[in-house]
Amino acid sequence: MADLTLTGAARARRRTEAGLVAMACVFAAGAYALAYDSPRTDMSLARLPLMLTVLALWGLAHLVVRRVANGADALLLPVVAVLHGTGFVMIARLANKWADLQTVWSVVGVGAFLAVLVLVDRPLDLRRWQWTCLGAGLVLLVLPMVPGLGFTSGGARIWVSIGPINFQPGEFAKILLAVFFAAYLDERRTLIVQSEHRLWGLNLPEMRHLAPIAVAWGLSVLVMVGQRDLGSSLMFFSLFVVMLWVATEKTGYLVVGSALFLAGATAAYFLFDHVRSRVEVWLDPWSRFTDRGYQPVKALFGMANGGLWGEGLGNGQPSAIPAAHNDFIFAAIGEELGMMGAAAVLAAYVLLVGAGMRVALRAQRDFEKLLAVGLTTILAVQTFVIIGGVLRVVPLTGVTLPFMSYGGSSLVSNYVVLALLVRMSDATARELREVPSIPGVRERVAMRLAQRRETRR
Amino acid sequence: MNQRIRHLTVAFVVLFGILFMQLSNWQVVRRDALVRDSRNNTLDRERFDSPRGRIVTADGVVIAESVEKDTGEFRWQRRYPAGDLYPHITGHYTLSFGSTQLEHLERRLLSASTPGAVEVTVRDDLQRVAQAALAGRDGSAVVVEVATGAVLAMYSNPTYDPNQVAQHSGAAAEAYLEVLNADPEKPLLANAFQERYMPGSTFKILTTTIGLETGALTTASTFPNERRWVPPNTDNPIQNYAGKTCGGDLAEVFRRSCNIPFARTAVAIGPSEFVAGVNRFGLDQTLPFDLQGAATSTFGGTAGDFDNSLALLAIHGFGQGSVQVVPLHMAMITASVANGGVMLEPRVVKRTFADDALVIPGNGTVSSPIDNIVRTTPVRQWRRTMAATTAATLTTSMEGVTQSGTAACCLQIPGVRIAAKTGTAQLNPEGEKQRSHAWITAFAPAEAPKYAVTVMLKGTSEEISAGTGGRLAGPVARQLLVAALNGAQ
Repeated sequence: MADLTLTGAARARRRTEAGLVAMACVFAAGAYALAYDSPRTDMSLARLPLMLTVLALWGLAHLVVRRVANGADALLLPVVAVLHGTGFVMIARLANKWADLQTVWSVVGVGAFLAVLVLVDRPLDLRRWQWTCLGAGLVLLVLPMVPGLGFTSGGARIWVSIGPINFQPGEFAKILLAVFFAAYLDERRTLIVQSEHRLWGLNLPEMRHLAPIAVAWGLSVLVMVGQRDLGSSLMFFSLFVVMLWVATEKTGYLVVGSALFLAGATAAYFLFDHVRSRVEVWLDPWSRFTDRGYQPVKALFGMANGGLWGEGLGNGQPSAIPAAHNDFIFAAIGEELGMMGAAAVLAAYVLLVGAGMRVALRAQRDFEKLLAVGLTTILAVQTFVIIGGVLRVVPLTGVTLPFMSYGGSSLVSNYVVLALLVRMSDATARELREVPSIPGVRERVAMRLAQRRETRR
Repeated sequence: MNQRIRHLTVAFVVLFGILFMQLSNWQVVRRDALVRDSRNNTLDRERFDSPRGRIVTADGVVIAESVEKDTGEFRWQRRYPAGDLYPHITGHYTLSFGSTQLEHLERRLLSASTPGAVEVTVRDDLQRVAQAALAGRDGSAVVVEVATGAVLAMYSNPTYDPNQVAQHSGAAAEAYLEVLNADPEKPLLANAFQERYMPGSTFKILTTTIGLETGALTTASTFPNERRWVPPNTDNPIQNYAGKTCGGDLAEVFRRSCNIPFARTAVAIGPSEFVAGVNRFGLDQTLPFDLQGAATSTFGGTAGDFDNSLALLAIHGFGQGSVQVVPLHMAMITASVANGGVMLEPRVVKRTFADDALVIPGNGTVSSPIDNIVRTTPVRQWRRTMAATTAATLTTSMEGVTQSGTAACCLQIPGVRIAAKTGTAQLNPEGEKQRSHAWITAFAPAEAPKYAVTVMLKGTSEEISAGTGGRLAGPVARQLLVAALNGAQ
């Protein structure tokens, strides 16, 4: 196995990461203790191992990164640990039963992170799977519509039930489609740009180059609208437009994309009652307090009660807000940690998005650039849509807050995103010769097997 | 590509900046309004079902307490022993419908792990007199201590029973609330301080003050005896009450409450001076009161509005038109005359105590064996309404009202000098079936003022609509002053 004593850039980065992860652990443990200490919560000492499990998971993640991706960005994992930890404590503080399950999801999520890190040695390998990704992504999107498998919860038919496991396939479809978009655009962006012809004063590319993307995008948006999942539709839309714009460097796509989005949103407003009702509640939740406005208004009340410094962890009443552990967890944070705490959470997301973008900027190959941009865009847009919904910046759409909300699908899929970003930043570091190139895990296994065969002979 | 990625990063940072701005908007900028919103009070069940401190009156009567129950889902029931006497002061405490007034405003103290107690300035004996004297008629009665601004009685009809709202049977409470909400007279709102009404001739206190202070009026001013007067910019004449002929010197027109002299005075003062004058009384400004949702008295226009409409200004001069005053505010205005021109902030919380268990109410007072007081509400000046000399002139004129003027019938107490002003606010134009609010506002003793009283009877019944302020509201004010002066001895 590779030498564990690191040198140079790898050593500096892993030391930074170790320090920051340790700080995240101290922070999460302290927050947990504060919430536990409050007489208003009924957290039991018996559940302390749950928190410790989550802390151990980050430690494990760091050790594995040290081993298989030692040149990776030092900020990604610690920032995620802070967000994950804050969310976990808030969920544990709200209800014991959710803390139990969220621990399971944390194990699965970090497990997925490690698995992706180990299995994906070279990010470029993913390109080969682009059509598989497209197919799998679309299948996942359609899955909730299949009778007997899919079911509706909270007004959106985005759930699939297989045996004892319920999950939201859309959370994974977004990653697969991002991989597909990145690979496809990497391959054909020159073609798309060069094949342009003028039509009605606009430079349009030849349709056949754009067709697969248009189909993928159109289908995902249609399916999502059919499933009444507007937040996710917006996410897919932004992913598509942003990647096309970055790949082609044509601002026209941004303009046309935004125009299409506005047209689509207007049409949806007039076509679908649930869209209209969402917009109405957004504009005036106050007069609908007894009905659909209850949740957003309670969230604002909660945050206002928290004020600048917050009521203190465990001292507020976030359970008065429906879905405080899920879509509205940001309101619970605002209430108990105050504007200071909520702003710190926002800052953490900005750091995460910034780190993701840095991965894209530093990446040496277009595929990696595009994939990093796509994944970061998903994170950023999803975060903006749900926090903006809670804060009434945009109409509320039910998407989860990455790494913080309760829920397995969300946590696992976002840890997969993190793994891909870590993997790509590590690949770039090797590319730039900042760290020595070492064989990947699978290569090491293959080499060792070959060595054994040699010695046997 | 990197250029685009940088642009995209900037775009995301801007988006998160917007989130941050909106976050500070809700949590800091608009925080107070949201915290005060009466719907912002849902409690979790455990916190709801805990013993809560008492609210007691200044003379030691418990008006809100928590009692332990043996049956039912909850252990603690909030009880209001006085029934419908104090709902607009204590408010109510519920799980599903929120809490109001002191139950809401003092929630942190009352529901602390060691519950605290609240002592209000209100005296139970006066509050009972107010309710009895109003005898079910829609309206309100307010008694204020001149030297401190403390509200000694404040009762409004229609009222409601907070026990019924706070009962643990949600369905019964909801049905009761539905009835209250459907009532056009709005029993949930205290018309003593959460509503405003046309003040009628009680407003002449303000017109006289502004006239004296601007020099448009002096103690030597006299007005012609006339029945009609046509103000500038109009052809419609102004008449005195019931079309009488009325005139004389200031003391006489004030005593008899002639309309035309005050209409003339308002026009003589002019729009900008008049509006500046009423602003000194705090009209169109939030009343600084320590209960929720105090209404704002309004003059009903800016100086610019009256520049081309002196006729309207003339009507406002005797309290008709679009001017509206909150009854509690009128009591404070009256108290400021009594107080040599200083208007204090009205207040209803006298003291708060850290530990309810140590507070002993009874025997006409509230005591605590050890010092347990969290806060004693200080006496605070709100504004200066007039010079002391003006206040003295007004006091003399107002004494005339009870000696031989519009209140002579009904507001005389042997051996006590009382200063007063009546008001009959006519709600309909002449010729239509008459509806009016009956007002009286007074203070006593005139030579060393202790109490200011304002009584307002809403023009919702035939009896009130037919009468004048002095005849209808006078006896209510009289009973309150008698009780206040006797109780103080």
